[in-house]
Amino acid sequence: MIGQAIADGVLTGAIIALGALGVSLCLQILRFANFAQAELLTFGAYAALTFTGFATAGVSIGPLSFGWQLLVAVALAGIATGAVAVAVDRLVFAHLRRRQAHDLTMVFASFGLALILRNLVLLLWGPDAHYYSQELQIAIEVLPGVRLMPDQVFVLGLALVLVLTLHVFLRFSRLGRAMRAMAESPALARICGIGTEAMVRWAWVASGALAAAAGVFAGLTVQIRPEMGANLLLPILTAAILGGTGSLFGAVVGGLVVGLAENLSALVIPTSYISTVPFILLLLVLWVRPQGLFAPAGGR
Amino acid sequence: MKRMIWTSLGTLLALSCWGAAPAIAQTASCPIKIGAILPLTGSMGPVGKHIAESAQLAIDTINQGGGIKGCQVQFILRDDQGQPTVGVDAAKYLVEVERVAALSGSVSSGVTLPILTAVAVPSGVPLVSCCSTAATFTTMAAEGRTNGFFFRTLPTLKTQAYATAKVTAERGYKRIAIIYLNTDFGTGMVKDFTKATEKLGGKVVKAVAYNENQPSYRAEVNAAMAEKPDALFLVAFPQDGATMTREWISLGGTQNLVLNNALRSLDYIKLVGAKYLQSAFGMDNASVAGPTVDAFKVAFQKAYNTSPDGPGIYNQYDAIMAIGLAIALAPDLSGKSIRDAMRKFQTEGGTIVGTGPDAFREAIALIKAGKPIRYVGATGPLTFDANGDVSGPALIWTVKGEALAIDRQISLDDMAALFKSID
Amino acid sequence: MTLGIVSYLTFFAVVVTILGIATLGLNLQWGSTGLFNAGIVGFYGIGAYAQAILTAAPRPELLGNFGLPWIVGIVGAMVCSALMAALVGLVTLRLRGDYLAIATFGIATVLQVIALNWDGLTGGSLGMTSIPRPLASLFSDPFAYNVFYLGLTLAAAAIVYVGLERIIRSPWGRVLKAIREDETAAIALGKNAARFRFEAFVLGCTVTGLAGALYVSFIGFVGPFDFLPIITFQIWTMLIVGGSGNNRGALLCSLIVWALWTGSGTLISRIVPAAYQTQGGAIQSILIGLVLVLTLMFKPRGLIGEEPVVSRHAR
Repeated sequence: MIGQAIADGVLTGAIIALGALGVSLCLQILRFANFAQAELLTFGAYAALTFTGFATAGVSIGPLSFGWQLLVAVALAGIATGAVAVAVDRLVFAHLRRRQAHDLTMVFASFGLALILRNLVLLLWGPDAHYYSQELQIAIEVLPGVRLMPDQVFVLGLALVLVLTLHVFLRFSRLGRAMRAMAESPALARICGIGTEAMVRWAWVASGALAAAAGVFAGLTVQIRPEMGANLLLPILTAAILGGTGSLFGAVVGGLVVGLAENLSALVIPTSYISTVPFILLLLVLWVRPQGLFAPAGGR
Repeated sequence: MKRMIWTSLGTLLALSCWGAAPAIAQTASCPIKIGAILPLTGSMGPVGKHIAESAQLAIDTINQGGGIKGCQVQFILRDDQGQPTVGVDAAKYLVEVERVAALSGSVSSGVTLPILTAVAVPSGVPLVSCCSTAATFTTMAAEGRTNGFFFRTLPTLKTQAYATAKVTAERGYKRIAIIYLNTDFGTGMVKDFTKATEKLGGKVVKAVAYNENQPSYRAEVNAAMAEKPDALFLVAFPQDGATMTREWISLGGTQNLVLNNALRSLDYIKLVGAKYLQSAFGMDNASVAGPTVDAFKVAFQKAYNTSPDGPGIYNQYDAIMAIGLAIALAPDLSGKSIRDAMRKFQTEGGTIVGTGPDAFREAIALIKAGKPIRYVGATGPLTFDANGDVSGPALIWTVKGEALAIDRQISLDDMAALFKSID
Repeated sequence: MTLGIVSYLTFFAVVVTILGIATLGLNLQWGSTGLFNAGIVGFYGIGAYAQAILTAAPRPELLGNFGLPWIVGIVGAMVCSALMAALVGLVTLRLRGDYLAIATFGIATVLQVIALNWDGLTGGSLGMTSIPRPLASLFSDPFAYNVFYLGLTLAAAAIVYVGLERIIRSPWGRVLKAIREDETAAIALGKNAARFRFEAFVLGCTVTGLAGALYVSFIGFVGPFDFLPIITFQIWTMLIVGGSGNNRGALLCSLIVWALWTGSGTLISRIVPAAYQTQGGAIQSILIGLVLVLTLMFKPRGLIGEEPVVSRHAR
């Protein structure tokens, strides 16, 4: 029982972590909590659904429920969602930045955008639930009492690859280093000749792509619905804060903690109260360690 | 700036009154207006959409059958978005501004209840619901708090719960886990089902409530599975239900599934995969076999190119038809007269009138001639009792190959006997 | 027929006035202090449930339902909202602004879950019916009663309006604006910014709680699905369009935005073909979202905007 809860917790945690990474990036580069991040996740899931619609999810690879087409669709959805994020920035946030609007005005705008995006998805794709593949997978008992579906193992692996890629990118690439410099101090970065707007754009592309991956994974392991992102919003924001707003590593750990806490709490509290768990975690962390678990030294 | 605000304000007010303008122009009572409040968006949207189509079909039936009292019927549909506030506002608008003769709606008891107490009862307008199953309505009617203005075209939960428990026991399932939607519908079902199952020698080993709109239902599924039950009784709507069934089967749960009426839909079967549902069975109280039921099925299929097998679709058709017949039978269009006419089309031994425009035309002719009629609709013979409830036979459905099949029926007499043995 | 319209408009006006009161509460938080409360609906809901639990007639299956007088319910509702605001405020107000937004968003979610699941107190998914309406026995005609209740809510709105106007013109209110404009400067002047923010937040939520209580004692019913996040968006739109920092704007735009919301609902039900009706709610929500975002972008001061001078003495 506990084993299964841990396995499920890690899986949910991985999806939350990908969403939280996007929020964390946005907090670092743009310095506001993006309430619309979860809707990018929904959009990504539906974009991938549309791409698989052209080619079907494909002949399944080995034990997986989908074929290479879905992998291509994930990549395309990542690009599409990144493009949407950049477009939204161009249309709304850039305008507010030029006006030097208050940070909270940005939060607020993202709050309104979340509503628009969610309902656009509803308008475009309708209210019905979808799956990438009708074919149902039977879980394999990997450890006594712990069952996992091949898709879930795949999702975990791919999430890990994505996180590592992001890490390597930020650590070693020129662009990544510029982004980190910008996160540390926008003014200094500008003096060093780093184009702020370009960095902002890349931050949006990255968080859009991460959101799309999270969305596809959530759709693959649960179901694709217009409300799927909105339902993940609180866990994602909690994970980002839990990890410390300056730390990408923290966002990943934060995601795992939230996922594990939700699934483990099901063993002791009635399942209908599980959705309150992220909030209780959030209050606890803000009370005890408001800078988050892994805030960089001297963070805000 | 100020002037701009007042101008826009005036425009808005004019806009909200605009809806009423055409109505003022007409001095006669034509067309007769029937209002409906259904959840077209929100979590019940996918269910409500088809129910609304069914309502529209009933209105078309009435109009093609010549209308009522020489008038065509105008149907005004409003979306409650699953929110009581929006539903009450819509109902208030329909009653006060549109002056509808009667209301139909809504789906969730939590929306129907405030519409009933805040609008229908105070304004004296009959409210016929297709789908609200809460026991509260019966209690309220018995205590005289509805003034008799509430009717519903589906049997109370007891019928479903007891019939399900009976077949579950017959199949030899002793230890049963339940995953249920946390609404009045779900909790009511669990209460009645548990009572009946224990009377019949089984045991409910775990009942797990789930809330709608969760990112995942894994925890709920795990909690139910931990008890290693003989069978799983799932009380859900098709979308969440499909997700949970998929997870349940994926994780190696028993395929002895017991399903509620809302899952009797091709959507659900398609989403889960028919091959996993071959040993499942479900209960429904709609669609007793018969020529009137078949006629409705054909008409619905033709109109919307989809099967009417889904929650509330049959019942909503009858809700509108009941309103139509009651208006035809009532001496005038007042709410009280329509309410009192609601039981005049269920005369035992009266000429049977069924579904479809021709049947409706015939019914109107019979009413004009003062002959007694007996409406047999999309859900079979419709009989409102003193509290506005209907009782009905039950039906057990299964999945055969890719399609839905009817296993057998539990007749009204058998249901009465079952009620007696359990209560 | 005209009577019907008047009757509906009375009903409509009551709802608008109640939402207007909630908007006034929010204005103290955002307009005067710069606090982003993303969970207004939570505090609105607490007020509503507190009113129901305190005043409804006892029923054996429910823990609450104390059957207390109406006014006790109103006061109790305000106290409950204030307590919950104090809890959230204590944890988040000393931190950066987006944390309050996230925490308040969270509390609204959590309260809805509790309302839905704690059957013994809240009636669960069915909610509670037959919540007493003040002085209902004096009126036989529902229309006359609605007119009376409109008077009652207008009086409440007037009291809140005058009270808040006085408060923001007081030295206390000026400190709030000072903090909003330049926190460092305010702190340098020896003002405890966290305490002022806390007080403004709690007071604002108290007013929101009052609105919730007035709403249930008008409708006579409370249920968990009345407190969905969309209400937060609606109330925010009322404030932003009206011009944050301006109480008259907040009240006026409660009317405009609610008329737009219900008006577009009516319009959609009349002109959109039946097959697309199901998307109507989505169009309405997009409309609200667009109004919010566009106002932020192009008219950040709202239609009316904030009055520049707040001190009587500075005029």
